[in-house]
This record gives sequence, C-alpha cells and structure tokens, in this order.
Amino acid sequence: MAAKNVLGIIFSNAYDEVIPEITAFRTMGSVPFASRYRLIDFQLSYMVNAGIPRVGILTNSNYRSLMDHIGNGKAWDLARKREGLTILPPFNHPDTGVFKGKLDALYGSIGYISDSGKDYVLVTDCNIVSDIDYDSLMNYHLETKAEITLAYSEGLATGIKNGMEYELSDDGRITAMKYIDSCSDNMKTSLKTMVINRTLLERLLHEANSKRITDFETLFADNTSNLRIYGYRHDGYVKIIENIKTYYEANLDLLNPEVRNALFTPEKPIYTKTSDKVPAKYGIAAKAVNSLIADGCKVYGEVENCILFRGVTVSKGAKIKNSIIMQDTFIGENAAVEYVITDKDVNIGAGKKLCGAENYPIYIGKGINI
Amino acid sequence: MARKQECIAMLLAGGQGSRLGILTKNIAKPAVPYGGKYRIIDFPLSNCVNSGIYTVGVLTQYQPLALNDYIGNGQPWDLDRADGGVHILSPYQQIKGTEWYKGTANSIYQNIKFIERYDPEYVLILSGDHIYKMDYSKMLDYHKENNADCTIAMIEVPWEEASRFGLMLVNDDGSIAEFEEKPKNPRSNKASMGIYIFNWKKLRSYLIEDEANENSGNDFGHDVIPAMHAAGERMFAYQFDGYWKDVGTIDSLWDSNLDLLNPKVDLDLDDDSWKIYSRSPVAPPHYVGANAVIENSMITEGCEIDGSVDFSVLFANVKVEKGANVKYSIVMPGTVIKSGASVQYSIVAENTVIEEGATVGKSPEEMKNIEDWGVAVVGSGVTIGKNAEVAPKSMIDTDIGGEN
Repeated sequence: MAAKNVLGIIFSNAYDEVIPEITAFRTMGSVPFASRYRLIDFQLSYMVNAGIPRVGILTNSNYRSLMDHIGNGKAWDLARKREGLTILPPFNHPDTGVFKGKLDALYGSIGYISDSGKDYVLVTDCNIVSDIDYDSLMNYHLETKAEITLAYSEGLATGIKNGMEYELSDDGRITAMKYIDSCSDNMKTSLKTMVINRTLLERLLHEANSKRITDFETLFADNTSNLRIYGYRHDGYVKIIENIKTYYEANLDLLNPEVRNALFTPEKPIYTKTSDKVPAKYGIAAKAVNSLIADGCKVYGEVENCILFRGVTVSKGAKIKNSIIMQDTFIGENAAVEYVITDKDVNIGAGKKLCGAENYPIYIGKGINI
Repeated sequence: MARKQECIAMLLAGGQGSRLGILTKNIAKPAVPYGGKYRIIDFPLSNCVNSGIYTVGVLTQYQPLALNDYIGNGQPWDLDRADGGVHILSPYQQIKGTEWYKGTANSIYQNIKFIERYDPEYVLILSGDHIYKMDYSKMLDYHKENNADCTIAMIEVPWEEASRFGLMLVNDDGSIAEFEEKPKNPRSNKASMGIYIFNWKKLRSYLIEDEANENSGNDFGHDVIPAMHAAGERMFAYQFDGYWKDVGTIDSLWDSNLDLLNPKVDLDLDDDSWKIYSRSPVAPPHYVGANAVIENSMITEGCEIDGSVDFSVLFANVKVEKGANVKYSIVMPGTVIKSGASVQYSIVAENTVIEEGATVGKSPEEMKNIEDWGVAVVGSGVTIGKNAEVAPKSMIDTDIGGEN
C-alpha cells in the first residue's frame, strides 16, 4: 500500500533519438509495441497495478499522438476526480527555456510535483520493457530508509550503450556510479527508474537549476556520499530499447512463451486504449505460425515469426517472415517480406520483395507505398 | 428535469431465451456472447449510438447480473453521458406492491416516468435478440414522413420460413393492412423485426388502456399493436434490407456465428463507419504457435493456438493446445481445449475445460442416422474429462468424468 503515497512521473520523450525513424512523428512513449500497445502502456500499467494513484507524463515534442492515445486516462482507470492522470507539456520557464535534460524538465513541473502532496516520486522512462514490480521497489525504498533508490539489473541489459554502471556496498547502498559505453555480463547497470523522496527532489531541482545541471546522473555521481542512494536489484525480464535493432528484438522476444508469461499476467494486465476492431480473420489457405496477431488483421497468406498490429492485411500468396508490421499495413498478393519493420499505413504492392537482415531490419516509414 | 430528447430507445432485455437452453442458465439472452468479442446486446446498443440516439433504457428482469455488469456505465458505447446515456431499468417496489414485468408492453408501462423525464416525441422499442446493423434514424425519418403513429421495421423472409414469424400485409403506400401472427398458411413474407417507433403520446395512452384491460397479455405484438390497428391509427411498415438474424436457438446462434466467416454474407463488422462496440477484455494479442494450423476462422485477443482450428469462431483467452482439433465450432471466452481433444460442430460456453483426448460433437457425415445429428453444447464452467465423449445434439451442464 506504500504506493498510495507515490507520484509517478513518466518521461515520454527521453531517448527519442535512439530510434529516430520510429520517433520522427511521435514520442518514445507512443511507439507501437507488441501488436496492440504503445510503449507507455507498460509504464502506466505497472504504476496502476502497483496502486500508484497519480501519474504525470512529461512531454517535450511531437506529443499529439501521445495525447491521442492517452486521452483522459480512462483505459488505465486514471480518469478520476481525485488524482489520476495529467499530461505535462513543456513549460517554458523564464529561467530555463525549452528543456534539455530531465532535471530542467522536472523543474518546469515543480509546481505539479509539490502540489501532489505525495512523499515519494517514482521517475521512469518509456524505453524499458520489463516485469519490474513497483510495489516491491517502493517497499525496498522504505525498508532501507533510502533517500533515493535506483533500479538496476545485473547482466540482463547486456550490450546497451550509454548506460550507467553502479558500485554497491554489501548493504545495497550505491557507492559509485560511472558512464559506460557498453554493458557486459557481470555489470550492475541502471534501469533508468528511480524512487526519490519528494522534498529532496524539490531541493535538488532548485539546486540543479542554479548550477545549470540538467541530468540526474551528474548530480548523483557527485553526491553518492552525501545522499543515501540505494540500488534495487531487478532479476526478471528486462529489455532496453536503444536502437532499431533492440526495438526489433524486444518485439520478437514476445514470441518466447517465458517472456510473454512474464509481461502479460492476468493479475497484472497491460492496459491500452481499445480500438473496437473485429477479431482477426483467417482465410482459406492461411498459414500462420509462431506469431503475435492483433484484432482487425486479415490473414490470407503465410505469416511466420511476426508481430502483426491491428488492421494488417496479408493477402493471398504473400509471405511474411521475421517482421514487425504496424497498424493498417497492407501486404499485397504474392509479396515477400522478411526482416522488415513497417510503420503505420504502409502499402506493399503485389509481388514486391523486401528483405533486411537479422541484425539490420529494414524500416519502412509511415504511409509509404511500395 | 432532464433535457428534452426527440427520440429515446427502450431495449427489451428481460427475456430468458429459454430455447438457448443451458447457455442462458445464468445469463439473460442479450448477454450471450457472439462473434468472437461481442454480446448480442452490442448490436442494438451500437446501432443506437451510430444512429444518434444517446438515451437508452435497458429493461432487465431475468438473471440481470451479467448483463448489468457488462453494460456498466455504458462507456464502451459512449453512453456514459451527463445528458441521457444508458439506464438499467429493473422491476421495482411500489406502494401497491412489487410487480415483475408481465409482458413487453407492461415493462414500458412501468417505466412511463423514466420516459417522461425526457419528454420525447418518439420512442423506439428494440429487443436484444437479433444480430443486425440498422440505421434507426432513417426509420425515424420514414416515420415522420408518413406522419405515422407507429412504424414497424419489416424484412422479407423466405416463404418457407414465413410461418415462424409475425407477418404483415402491407399496402402500396407502406401502410399496414393486416397482421398475421405465425399463420399456418402465410399470405405474406413480410415479417416484423420487433423494432417499433411510436409517437410517445399515442403509445402512452394505449399503454394505460392496455394495463387497465384485465384480459390483456400486456404484449406489444399480441395486444398493443392490434389495439392500435383496430382503432385505425396510422401504422406503417419500414422495409429493411440487410442481414438480420434471430439468434434465439442453438442452431441459429451457431449459424449466425459461422456467417461471419462467409464472405457472401452481408454482415461486415469491420466497417469503420458503423462500428459495433463492445466491452473488450484486457488481454494481450493472440499468439499462434509453431504447430498451429488456422484456416477460415476468427480469433481474438488473449487466445493461444497451437492446434488446428478450422471454420470456427474463438472468443477471448481460448487455448487450443498442440494436437487439439476445433472445427465448425464456437468457443466462448476462457475455454481450454487440451492436447488431442476434438471439438466439432459444437458451441462450447465460457471457462470450460475439454481434457486431453475428449471428443465433443461430430460431423454430420460421421452419423449413422442423420436424425441424431445436431450441434453439441457444453455449458459454462464444465469440465469434459480425459477421453470422454459428448454426443452430437446433446447439452452438457455438469462435469463429465474421464479416464485418469
């Protein structure tokens, strides 16, 4: 029940630049994921499932599609008279201008944070898909009497770039942190998720603003001895999306039943905006194996190892393999598609052949006609 | 006082639907699942909002729990409104005593006060028994053009089936000359769809009159409409062309679900201009496994398919394990069909378990005597044991043990 006293803050734009193709028209939070979701659905659902009653979504740019998706927060049960969901558009503070880092972004919303009346603030990004439990993260924060708790994993998020590595003492306190270029198996690396006491956060925001510090990492790295910073170890599934390849992998990971069972449990459902599409329809001679398929799809051809979003049509004789096909894409008759990511509303004409490689899937932009 | 509405809808959802047998043991007929993610009542409710009617009274009586729960505040249909919206109307206690809804007309009579709050010009009466997409606003225009007191939606049915329906003989100007209720030798194939538009002031006085008549069965089709006709009120038939099916029997429910797989059937649920809304379960996309073979079927969110599915409609969260076989069947939410089980020509209700090797239903070709063939039905929550058999045409509502 600790979560009742928590304000959730989600950065919807952080790391947009790591998948520039897909975030050209949208925030990281509204990046389509797993057939019927947007990345932000996961963070929002984790928070709601933990019992966090108040959530602010920080936006910076291109947030129309995000607002479209979130609406008043009804799908997450966050459309409430008391508390609930608030979208925090960029606040052009006289001191800061349009924000550059997370600290000045939060500084722009400092009034919202203070007014929340919550004692703790949970701050997360959207480009992490995991089965982390925020309730136990909160409990850990309270047990250790930490001022700040940073979630980390050991060896799970391997290969990521621009990470932070933590050094921990035996009692779990973070004693040092440093930037790393890539993460290897035995490293304890940041999951870009933290709990911080609200009053401390306010103090740090004022301090950082006067010193023109824009990111948490710099601030924390210099203060590991002054602040009680603890590390919360997460051992389940983690995937950090930091480029088109990891985006592709995170989607295809869902074809593994263990990953699916970790992310989609009936007790902790992932909520999303409903689309009222009809169930998927399979035609005569359809052949679909090892794929995730959303409502509104029409499958008349062959589908293997794919993630199909809502309203995708795979025509007769078409073969798609190892691909991510976003909403309302049309694959024409006898087309062949492999290692491809299509954005929304793409049309791949009859008989066309497209093939990327496993380590470099081809991305086809929104609305492109081939 | 609520704001005045030109037309409000009253949806008769109190019927048991006894011909659906065990499928309506615990739920009212309008709450029966249909088409992979819908319930029957989604059709009239969605038709209402698509037609611009945002005030709907839903009259419930028989087993209302599931239905009330499903409709909730009406949000999935955009009927959670400050002005109007959906209202569940159950029988209630009055000074003179408690009264159940005695008949369709009586249920409206008992809710005169609800209707009066909106001071409507017209009242649309609907039933929760049919699958169809219809623009009620066009019917209302027709009603107004004819300056009618009552307009009845009508559809032409095949002559050989006509005797199952309430029929109308219609004059050239569209006015109704005569009614015939399920005649042996029909003189018309124009069947009433059970959809009525009344001028509210007229209907109100006939309802009061009908209530005072002790010999009346308080039914629209049997009592109120004949009384209006006899009194010479202006009654018109509004012709509807399109898909319309009563899903009141096991066979028609089965047929109507499979109609969705038939490209020749004129019922497109993938029509963005006339969406059928429903309360969607929160479930991940469906997963088709490495061994799945799916053809000519509808499959929805939360399903996990690793077996073979052919000519079937699967609802949310159905699991078909490797080596299981589903053919010409309707499988409702949460059911698990285990490895080696076979489900054919069946309707399997919610949350049942078909254990390994069990057989439910048979194809007509396998029957020695075709008279014994029919759709097999397994009721909700039932477990069919390992290698057990459910015969065609049977209805099972208790567990069947299997081999250990």
